[in-house]
Amino acid sequence: MIQINDVHKRYLTSRGESVWALRGISVAIPPKVNVAILGKHGSGKSTLLRLIAGIDRPTRGEILCERRVSWPIGLVTGLQPNLSGRQNTRFIARLQGFSEKEIDKKIEFVIEFCEIGELFEQPFGTYSNGMRARLNFALSVAFEFDVYLVDENLGGGTGPFLEKTRNTIKYLSEHADLIVVTHAENILKTYCEAAVWLHEGRAHWFDSASEAWQEHKKALAA
Amino acid sequence: MAASRALRSSFAVTFSVWRALFLREAATRLSRNPTAWFWLIAEPLTHIAFLMWLFVIAFRQRHIIGADTSVFVMLGVLAFIIPRNLINGSIAAIAGAQSLYTYRQVKAVDTVIARIGVESLLAFILFFVIWTGAALFGFPVSLADPLKAILALGTLWFGGVGLALVFSVVANLSVQAGHLVRTLMAPLYVFSAVMFPTAAVPESMRNVMLINPLVHGVESLRLAFMPAYQTAPGIDLLYLMQWAIVLIFLGLVMHAVFENFLMTKK
Repeated sequence: MIQINDVHKRYLTSRGESVWALRGISVAIPPKVNVAILGKHGSGKSTLLRLIAGIDRPTRGEILCERRVSWPIGLVTGLQPNLSGRQNTRFIARLQGFSEKEIDKKIEFVIEFCEIGELFEQPFGTYSNGMRARLNFALSVAFEFDVYLVDENLGGGTGPFLEKTRNTIKYLSEHADLIVVTHAENILKTYCEAAVWLHEGRAHWFDSASEAWQEHKKALAA
Repeated sequence: MAASRALRSSFAVTFSVWRALFLREAATRLSRNPTAWFWLIAEPLTHIAFLMWLFVIAFRQRHIIGADTSVFVMLGVLAFIIPRNLINGSIAAIAGAQSLYTYRQVKAVDTVIARIGVESLLAFILFFVIWTGAALFGFPVSLADPLKAILALGTLWFGGVGLALVFSVVANLSVQAGHLVRTLMAPLYVFSAVMFPTAAVPESMRNVMLINPLVHGVESLRLAFMPAYQTAPGIDLLYLMQWAIVLIFLGLVMHAVFENFLMTKK
């Protein structure tokens, strides 16, 4: 269960405090269900996802989380440009507390998955955007979590790699739980059973994702 | 994508974070460019050489009572570098840590602790390299009181850790606070008696200068090498130790209090 209690969020900027991105969200996300987060642009979907991931802290309220939750897939940050793909992979795996032996296995998985060949031994800063996205996606799915977070574009692969990312997300949706921020009806219908609809700074829980989609459509048209 | 692992203890989580950050930090520091090792040694050497020039040529001051000028300057610079590098590294560690909060097990204080680890290791390696180098070149750097030297270095390090913990929070509270802390580093350097002996300071100013805890570490280290060296009365390593203990507790409390603030995206 991920329990979100009266969570408020606004950002501190150089111009002072921003408007409220979230105004008192309370919702409980149960286990064993794939959940979509729906809402208009600027309704706080990505903010909510970042808060669930623990990347950012709420201004008020709390998020109680008793499950292993991933970072948003494809949003691996903190990779050092002057360290190689291998060194960066070791770093991420060490953070998760794996032993050096287990890390070797993770590295094998990442090498096989991201298909960037020799580039894996080169400094990360020399990678093209496409290669970065591949390593990023591979690192996101190399570790086991109870809940995987997905923001919008499923980790952004292109060409033949896109097929692979889709299959992987499909696999994860069957073997773990997903929380997906999306604007696309097909993604919602393919992966999600339930949904959280963000509207005017509040959250509404729907047991059926398609019902939430109807509400969302109505609000968009209004 | 295998079976889930058992939940780890808080200590296990923290320790693996420190280990990962320390190794990454060390690898990054030394692989940034091929001359990273060179500059690590060259920066303090230039610093020492410049102060030597100031003393011998600009000030015409070849003699400090009971001390060799070159050893006096070398010890001053090497002693001050320990807290200076810890402080500067820690401030930078938090400022650049935002991208690491993607991993929920990383907290702001972890990045500071890892950086303190790396900077300490490098500062002590630096000390031994330059000390050994000076001995090989025939400077009178024999150690008169090894125990006192270890105590002085250890206490300086301890004080540096305390200052690093406190300043890393203060400097990242706001842009103004950051400027203030960086500005404070210059007087801290001057009042640490790196470039002149405390005995040479007029008495009215001396009492102000001795409030600075670092000066007690710098002068104690010199006394350990050169027992005939004359310091101002009142140099007391215990004073620095008391500061260090208070600063470490204060720093840890500040990290606990401001954790949310430091880790909020700005």
